[in-house]
Formats: sequence, C-alpha cells, structure tokens
Amino acid sequence: MISISEVEYSYEDGEDAKKALSGVSLEIRDGEFVAIVGHNGSGKSTLAKMLNALILPDSGTVTVFGMDTADEKLTLDIRKKVGIVFQNPDNQIVTTVVEEDVGFGPENLGVPTQEIRKRVDRALEAVGMTDYARSAPHMLSGGQKQRIAIAGVLAIRPDVLVLDEATAMLDPIGRKAVLDIAKRMNKELGITVVMITQYMEEAVIADRVVVMNEGKVAMQGTPREIFRRGDELRKIRLDVPVMVELREKLAAESLIPDTDALTVEEMAEEICPLLLKN
Amino acid sequence: MPIIVEKLTHTYMPGTENEHVAVDNVSLTINEGEFFGIIGHTGSGKSTFIQHLNGLVQPTSGKVTVDGFDMSDKKQRQKGRALVGMVFQYPDYQLFDSTVLDDVAFGPKNLGQSEEEAKKSAAEAMKTVGLDPELFGEKSPFELSGGEKRRAALAGIIAMKPKYLVLDEPMAGLDPSGRRDVVATIDALRRELGCTVIMVSHSMEDVARSAERIAVLNEGKLYALGTPDEIFSKTQELIDMGLDAPQTARLAEALRQKGCDVPESIYTNERFIEWFRGLKHV
Ligand SMILES: Nc1ncnc2c1ncn2[C@@H]1O[C@H](COP(=O)(O)OP(=O)(O)OP(=O)(O)O)[C@@H](O)[C@H]1O
Ligand SMILES: Nc1ncnc2c1ncn2[C@@H]1O[C@H](COP(=O)(O)OP(=O)(O)OP(=O)(O)O)[C@@H](O)[C@H]1O
Ligand SMILES: [Mg+2]
Ligand SMILES: [Mg+2]
Repeated sequence: MISISEVEYSYEDGEDAKKALSGVSLEIRDGEFVAIVGHNGSGKSTLAKMLNALILPDSGTVTVFGMDTADEKLTLDIRKKVGIVFQNPDNQIVTTVVEEDVGFGPENLGVPTQEIRKRVDRALEAVGMTDYARSAPHMLSGGQKQRIAIAGVLAIRPDVLVLDEATAMLDPIGRKAVLDIAKRMNKELGITVVMITQYMEEAVIADRVVVMNEGKVAMQGTPREIFRRGDELRKIRLDVPVMVELREKLAAESLIPDTDALTVEEMAEEICPLLLKN
Repeated sequence: MPIIVEKLTHTYMPGTENEHVAVDNVSLTINEGEFFGIIGHTGSGKSTFIQHLNGLVQPTSGKVTVDGFDMSDKKQRQKGRALVGMVFQYPDYQLFDSTVLDDVAFGPKNLGQSEEEAKKSAAEAMKTVGLDPELFGEKSPFELSGGEKRRAALAGIIAMKPKYLVLDEPMAGLDPSGRRDVVATIDALRRELGCTVIMVSHSMEDVARSAERIAVLNEGKLYALGTPDEIFSKTQELIDMGLDAPQTARLAEALRQKGCDVPESIYTNERFIEWFRGLKHV
C-alpha cells in the first residue's frame, strides 16, 4: 500500500512560495488501478515523483509498503517497487542502444546479467519494439521512444507501475496497447497501476479516479461517479469523456433518458433500442 | 500561394545497414488559408515530412516550395522559412532562454520587433494559450510542468503570427481547457490573418473537429488524402493502419452493427446530435 499523508511541497523556498502540492492525503491500495487527472500544473507529476522518492515532501509523509520515502537507506528498495514512466521519453533515454537502455533500470537495481537479458527481451516484446533492439534511441520517432521508455520500466518488474502521460505521443493503437498492458499487469499479476492522463476516455478504465486541482485533491470516486459531475470538472479546466458529453447533451434536450453510460459500447446499448423503436 | 510538395522522399542514413525510407514519394499541395491535418501510425514519417516544410530537413529527392520559394535552395530557403512557424513534437527542443517571457519573445525579436514590442507580443501570446505572464513570465522554462512547457512553445510561435503554422502534436499534454484554448487561438489566427495551419495529431477527435483536408501517411507513403468525410468513412482501413476513428464514428458503427440505420457522415458529437434531433420530428 502507498500512503500519502498531509503532504506539502513547493519547488521554491520562502514563506509565500507557490505550493505544487498542499495538504494532499491519499491512499493507494495494493492491486488498485488509479487514474489521476487534473489541469496543467495541478501537481500530478510532482505527486508521481513523490512515490519513488525523487522528490521528498516539505512536510507530511509518503510511505510505500511501509517504507518512509524520507529514509535515504530505503530509496533503492523503494525504486525496486515503484517504476515510473515520465512524460518526456527523451529525459529517460540514457544510452545509445535501445536494449541497453531498457536494461539500464534493472542493472542499476542489481539484477543479475542473465536475468536482465530475459527481462529486456520480454519488455521489448510487450511494447512491440523487438525489431528495434539494436537501434539508436535518438533515431526513433516520438512514439517509438515512448515505447522504449515504457519497456525500461516494465523491465524493472515493479509492484507499482506509474504512468505519467506515457501514452501522450502514441498512435491510437499504440495507446490502446499500453493501456492493455497496464490493465493486464493489474488484473493478472496484481500490480498496482497509477495512471496520469489528460484523456478522460482513458481514466474510464480505472477503478478510481483522483482529480487534482491547484495542488489539492479536489474529488475522487469511481469513473461513473466522477464523470457525472461534468460542470464541476469543467470549472477546474477538465472535461468529461466524448461519449459522456454526447450523453449529457442528448439528455439535456430530453432526446434520451439520463443514464450513466461512459463508453462507446454502453452508449450503443442505450441508444439502439430508441432508434429501432423510431 | 500554396505549399507544393513534389515527389518528396527522405531516406535516413542512406547506404548504411540502418537505411530507412521515412518519407516515400509524397506529392501534395497545401492551399493558402487551409486547415490541413496529417495523421498516421507511430513512425509513419509525419515529423520527418513536416520538417521539410521549413527546410529544417532536406529531401533525399523531390522538392518542396513554399510560396514559390524552393526550400532546397539556400537563399530562397531563408525567405520561405520566414513564413513558416513550427511547433515541434517535444517542446523541450524549443525552449532555451532563461525566462519564459524571453523565450516567447525570441521569435518576434528575430522578426525585427524592438525589445519592448517583442515582450508585449510575447505577453499577449502567453495569455492566449492560458499562461499568465505575471505568474510564469519570469520563470525558467525548465521549471514548468509538461503542459505548461507545451503552452510556452505554442506561444513562442503564435507570437510571430506566421503565415504557415505547422504544429506537431500540439495538443499532447494539454489539459482539456488548454486544448479548447488552442483550438480557439488557431481559429482566431485564421480569421484575423488568414493563416494556413498544418497539424499533425494522433487525436482523431481533434483532426475531425478542425481539419478541412486530411493526409494519411502509412509507412512513409501518402495512403489517402481527402476531406474528413472521405477519410473517416474508412473506419476499418484506419484501424488496420494503427489509427482509429473518432469515438462518435465508432458509436455510429456500433449502432449499425446492431441494425440501426446511421448515416456515414456522422463522426462528431455535433453531427450526431443534429441528426438525432431530426429523427424526433420524422
Ligand atoms: N522544476 C520545477 N521548478 C519550479 N516549479 C516547478 C518545477 N516543476 C514543476 N513546477 C511547478 O509546480 C506546479 C506543479 O507542476 P507539475 O509538474 O506537478 O504539474 P502537472 O499536474 O504534472 O502538470 P502537467 O499536466 O502540465 O504535466 C506547476 O505550477 C509548475 O509550474
Ligand atoms: N534521425 C533519424 N535517423 C534515423 N531514422 C530516423 C530518424 N528520425 C526518425 N527516423 C525513423 O524514420 C521513421 C519516421 O519517423 P518520424 O519521426 O517521421 O515518424 P512520426 O510519424 O513522426 O512518428 P510519431 O507519431 O511516433 O512521432 C521512423 O521509423 C523512425 O525510426
Ligand atoms: Mg505533468
Ligand atoms: Mg513524430
């Protein structure tokens, strides 16, 4: 379990410095799939970096499986447990050959060479980049780099997978593939997934959606609960998924009954009988 | 005058074992004032293609002319390049100055504006993309969040009011209100200056909403070129290429599968609602 308690954080010093996080408390249970949404600058990435001790709270605590991130002796152990894929893959690419790059994380954590080989192959396969194992990362397209960054974290075999807008540069199929990997790791291996996204459609697959606003947790609940609160979401610079918007607008004109459909499939279920009756 | 791309081919590292044809014999014309969308799977050559439009990358063969300026010719390229504002896929490549305001003012200054004018243009552009100059102007670009960086990069180009605005994944990392701001800003630029927009995007929603014509790249080749109506009526082909249809098009398709009669032209919520309203009166 990850437990975040009363966390305050500012990138700058001084009394009146702007807070990136203020009074954030949150629990993430083992095996949970949590989506985090929030406007640009609301503190999502800062929160993600708290989860594996890249940033330490100014006050308050973050504990990961009982380990306090403020305890330096535990940093390596924490990083074995929590793997993060960041927003910009370029910042994560460190070597000149793709497979070395994917093996970099496990190597740093002291995984034996034989085992690294296996993990790298598996991870590249999972993201569909096996053919590029010997390529130079800087020669890859944006989406290809992003897949490599994801493979690098998969190779760590973390207990908690944190995806910070990891699908932002992927084509729709690539995006779906990453979501499927995350979903599968969550369901089959019980890995906890924390997924930060600007696409409300993606948040729909989570067990729970956490909504950030100006460094605070503004709402949380199941996707169905959260996306019934469209007006509140829009006020804090967010929105509802495309299908929910359609449903809201049709219902507002009393063209369909008010339901809680979230996805294309659910909308088709709702609307089809109405059309066939017509 | 238009941008004319003739038989453009770009090969990375020719003659080595890593030789890769990223753009393969693409010909098309982008008309003045048009909103031109480009979609294609990861690695299909979109970024390579558009970097030819400002002469940043040179063709292996073929030719690009911008308003009649041949982008392979050193002298003409300078003139052509001055017309093209380009926002890169990763904003980090674009931000380098010590403060956000200076960074955004860099372009206008280069176009000959005085220090003061340039800063005014910059502050204006920052506001249009939702970055408060008071709050962010004096920050270092490296102290911005992902979406704030994207906004700063967009502001830097918008401040120059270029005739051709080339955007590589401009919406990636923006929050929903930021995406609305950018759409509104582009609309305003087109209305006021008649500027031409070329937008690469993985979001079928964004392309469906804005583009007047769409080019589909597949493995470096121009697979299709047409209006959104034409392109998004080929749902299955798009999916086979690693792409997708807008969600509303998928809803329409799902309804057809269930035996409902939904017209091909429905791929946005606006159209769906309009159509649905019409049904009620039948
Ligand atoms: N290195 C830094 N130095 C100073 N301020 C920073 C730094 N990184 C982020 N900030 C500020 O902290 C706040 C929170 O940033 P954070 O990156 O956590 O936001 P975010 O929710 O991830 O946003 P986005 O959706 O744009 O990625 C923002 O206002 C940002 O400007
Ligand atoms: N500098 C380079 N050297 C060698 N090959 C490259 C280089 N840049 C890109 N490529 C290759 O050229 C192909 C096209 O890349 P490009 O970046 O144009 O694709 P893209 O359509 O923009 O993809 P994405 O949607 O992922 O951004 C890819 O297969 C990529 O691996
Ligand atoms: Mg972020
Ligand atoms: Mg690209």
